[in-house]
Amino acid sequence: MPGRASDPGNSLVPFSPEVRDPVVYPIRHGIKTPLFRVFVSWSHGNLLNVACLQASPPESNAAAGTAESEVNIGGKVVEVRLGDGDGEINEAQRRRIAYGSVPAFAMLQSRRNSLSMMSRMASSSFRNEWWRHVLEYSNQIKDLLGTPRLPSSSVIEDPKMVLQQIEEPTSLKVAWELMEIFYVDKQSSAWLPERLVDWLADYDCILAKTEPAIYSKLVNLQKKIVNIQVIEDDPEYWDGISSALAVGWLDVVVKLLRLHGSYQLDQLGNRETENGLVEAVAVLVSTMPRMRADVPTGKLGQCYKTKPDFVKAWEKWRGHITKLECSAFWVQCGHRQTREGLRNLLQIMLGNIKNLTTSTCHWMELYISHFLFIRPFSMGLEGMYSLAQKCMQLKPSSNSSGLIGVFMGILGGNTEVVLAECSKAFGPWMVAHAMELLMATDDHADILLHEERYNLGGISMEELYRLIYAQVLSSHPLTWQIAPTYLASCSKQGLGLLEVLLYRQSAHNYRVTLKNLEICRLYELENISECIMKIAGVYYWKHGRRGSGIHWLQQAHDEVRLNRIAQQLFDCIGKSISDDSFKQWEGLVELLGSEVGTAGGLEFLHKYRDFKRSLHLVHDKKAVDAARQTVESLVQLMRSPSTPRRFWLPLLHDSVHLLNWQGRPLLNVSETTLLLSKLQELSMAKLHPDFSDFDLPPQALATVRLALAKNLRQAILEES
Amino acid sequence: MAIAGDANLRCFPQPNPVDAVRWLPTVSSLRRFAAVAVHDPDSSSSAIEVHALNPGPNLLLRSSHAIPSRISALRFSPTPQKPLLAAAATSAGSLHLLSIDPLEGSIDSELSVGDIGFSTGAVADVDGQAEGREWVSVGEDGRVNLVVVGDGRLEWRRVFDSKGLVEYSAVRWASPAEFATGGLGFGLQWWDQRKPGGAVAHFKGNWARGNTVGMVHSIDIHPSRKHICVAGASSGTVFAWDLRWQHRPLLLSGVSTGDTVQPASESEVWEVRYDSHIQPSSVGTGPTRILPVMMCSEDGILAVLQQGEEPVELLAEPCAINGFDIDPQNPSDVICALEWEMIGILPRSKETSTAS
Repeated sequence: MPGRASDPGNSLVPFSPEVRDPVVYPIRHGIKTPLFRVFVSWSHGNLLNVACLQASPPESNAAAGTAESEVNIGGKVVEVRLGDGDGEINEAQRRRIAYGSVPAFAMLQSRRNSLSMMSRMASSSFRNEWWRHVLEYSNQIKDLLGTPRLPSSSVIEDPKMVLQQIEEPTSLKVAWELMEIFYVDKQSSAWLPERLVDWLADYDCILAKTEPAIYSKLVNLQKKIVNIQVIEDDPEYWDGISSALAVGWLDVVVKLLRLHGSYQLDQLGNRETENGLVEAVAVLVSTMPRMRADVPTGKLGQCYKTKPDFVKAWEKWRGHITKLECSAFWVQCGHRQTREGLRNLLQIMLGNIKNLTTSTCHWMELYISHFLFIRPFSMGLEGMYSLAQKCMQLKPSSNSSGLIGVFMGILGGNTEVVLAECSKAFGPWMVAHAMELLMATDDHADILLHEERYNLGGISMEELYRLIYAQVLSSHPLTWQIAPTYLASCSKQGLGLLEVLLYRQSAHNYRVTLKNLEICRLYELENISECIMKIAGVYYWKHGRRGSGIHWLQQAHDEVRLNRIAQQLFDCIGKSISDDSFKQWEGLVELLGSEVGTAGGLEFLHKYRDFKRSLHLVHDKKAVDAARQTVESLVQLMRSPSTPRRFWLPLLHDSVHLLNWQGRPLLNVSETTLLLSKLQELSMAKLHPDFSDFDLPPQALATVRLALAKNLRQAILEES
Repeated sequence: MAIAGDANLRCFPQPNPVDAVRWLPTVSSLRRFAAVAVHDPDSSSSAIEVHALNPGPNLLLRSSHAIPSRISALRFSPTPQKPLLAAAATSAGSLHLLSIDPLEGSIDSELSVGDIGFSTGAVADVDGQAEGREWVSVGEDGRVNLVVVGDGRLEWRRVFDSKGLVEYSAVRWASPAEFATGGLGFGLQWWDQRKPGGAVAHFKGNWARGNTVGMVHSIDIHPSRKHICVAGASSGTVFAWDLRWQHRPLLLSGVSTGDTVQPASESEVWEVRYDSHIQPSSVGTGPTRILPVMMCSEDGILAVLQQGEEPVELLAEPCAINGFDIDPQNPSDVICALEWEMIGILPRSKETSTAS
């Protein structure tokens, strides 16, 4: 296929081979056409940098358009943001989810490590324990994806308020919940049908956005009932009730039934039978046996935890319905709509497939109604899958959203399909985090995801999906800091990519660099942190922040670069340090510290400063002690290999008055000989190209030599 | 280590990263505001926002004022007055002085200085005198500037220019004439405007171990003890430097050879503040004792340190705490800027005010 990087069959990262409509992003570059060249490159996140260059104007126009050329720009770089997300979750929310899932993920990984170490011998006990941890993790993530549905908090309940309008959950959360139901929660696996009923109650409002669904039907009804007087004459009223019943929203059904006109005090006398029938149905609805641990407050039904108890209650309940169905009171009920509506409800409760089909809108609703009224017991995935297909045939749906794909994948029992659907519909975050759910109780999935694959370069699928997610995180300046958590959980490629990530961070903000170093410390990457410090040091040095540059390189123990830098630094010292204003250098010298061997050639600065300081004190001719000390540090400086040769002459020249000291000589014979030999070396090197003297008087060398000779004479006399 | 738990922390997610948070020094006890420096990396825009803190609690945006580049430091003049003055330093080397109405939380006007002579690199920190007429700023370019609010504009003069040989990352006034700065190598400098030409005293700590640059990120000086500055730096180091004993720094947290001071954290200490909420324990109170200090760190620790005692951990968050502020009027309330684009508010109960 032309223009395609790789065949989808061979690609490492699954991508959809479906050809979608191309998206056009208009670029306002403001450059005169024709464009000479366009460069496209990735910026951070989903930003694209597009550089547009103008064709160079023809020679003839160049002269004519001189005035114009100032406004005429040669090129421009434009940022293009690709995709605005799916609209449901914006970038800030997406980042919030990414941040929030880090502690949960890290906690689960550390638990896995400690548990697997403890129970290496008994993997079965590990399994039995493990799903509870995953459930805890799943709950933490679920809280992150949206606030849980809370019962109405208002004190006075409006009887006409049948449907609570709630904050709509995101489809991401709904998909997560679905996986939790099927893969993690072992405890409630016996109550799977009822969990699906609850799940649909959340999901139906999302379904209603694109297709006709019971939720939208009830929202319309809710708007209507506030204004209608005789509600039971309206077919929509009965339609709404039967639909709500079909998907098990019993509280809504009972609330709607109680709005029936026969409950009104003035009507009670002449519609007694009718009212009795309505109330009987309402009671039957609210006492429907349900196989589950409990119902949330405000919801109706009687709970049975075990199958035998439930079956007994179920049969009894159905018996009551059949009895009411055959009752003679129906004949006495004069209101046709009520009679028909109520009997329809009884048929739904008895599990009449025809009534269920007409009362539901979407196949998913029909599917759920099966679990409520036809087969209220858990069945195998195969059975659930074929039932789903049957429902789809009865109510074909044009839309196949990502969620449905995930749902069918789960029922199909195919882990790879589930992951692919998750990836397609919800992106890398979902896959990286949902893998934990898939593996919680399913051994096959566990093996499948942990198996090292040749076609993935020897890594497992688990690692692959984590790496993909980590790459997404790394590409954004706000989320790169959390990528190491995921990279660290990848045993094969993680560490290598972590190193790349850390190297890649720019050095221009020292806070970022320090945060980078902190990550190195956490993962014990000493050599990386040393490199990062060197990079930062060179960056600072290049940008004129010499002190910082030196300090960072010093802390990184980079002798080679420090020696290089020292040469450049000495160049700019020139005479400035010998002036009175070496306050300037004071700070740097303090920063270098006095420890030997940490600053490369820069140790010299420290000694030089001390020498200069004591030289200042000697100006008074009587300060013999100070003079002696100064001479001592002079000799030390001249002996030290770190003193650059170019400073020898200025040092000696600065201390000429010490060499010509009145009274006893300050230097002994051997010291004087040393200085003389240095001087000799210097005069020989004067022809050397890198020799430079700092604005010293031309006779400086001679003056020093004379002073040294004088001193030598005196010293010899003194010592003999 | 005593752990108070983080159950009380209220988090307010923001749509963008939070660079700095400050309480407004309020005039009235009924209205409480917080100023927040935010940055949007997608549009490369920055702003100072004022949020009202309502009981609930919730944060409500009252006003926002765009600043041309990323904010590196935000400070208020300490005196509650009308209008309040706040200075924001930026990474592009400019300084912005905002006047904020303390009753409405509105940002009314701005004065700024940002010419190339003022600064060639990021301004790292700024601090104001009590009334906010005079500010001192330090920068990565090694310049120390004094900024004075003139007639409708800001006037500035250079105190010192190290020409890039030394750079400063923190500054704090000690008295109308003196201030302290901090920088690399656990370094502190003491300046006296009456003695121009450079710092009058230097200090360099030698606690560096492993790969650390030992940068001082924040300094605080207590008005009642102007000769002592506490500093927060790398490797969980918090220390006090007393001008009277310049060669004997006191380590409050961190690791050094010979000293056994338990570190409250092992990473960068981004901010330190004297904690006026905690009454210093009765033992050994005196002018030499260091008052309680609060610190926050890169590894998510918010803790109170007392000389000779174990640190009291107030928060241990999964992400970095980049800065915090203690409400000067209600010192029990702490506001902090969390790395994960959140503002946290931590109310402390009265019981914790007397440390054991």
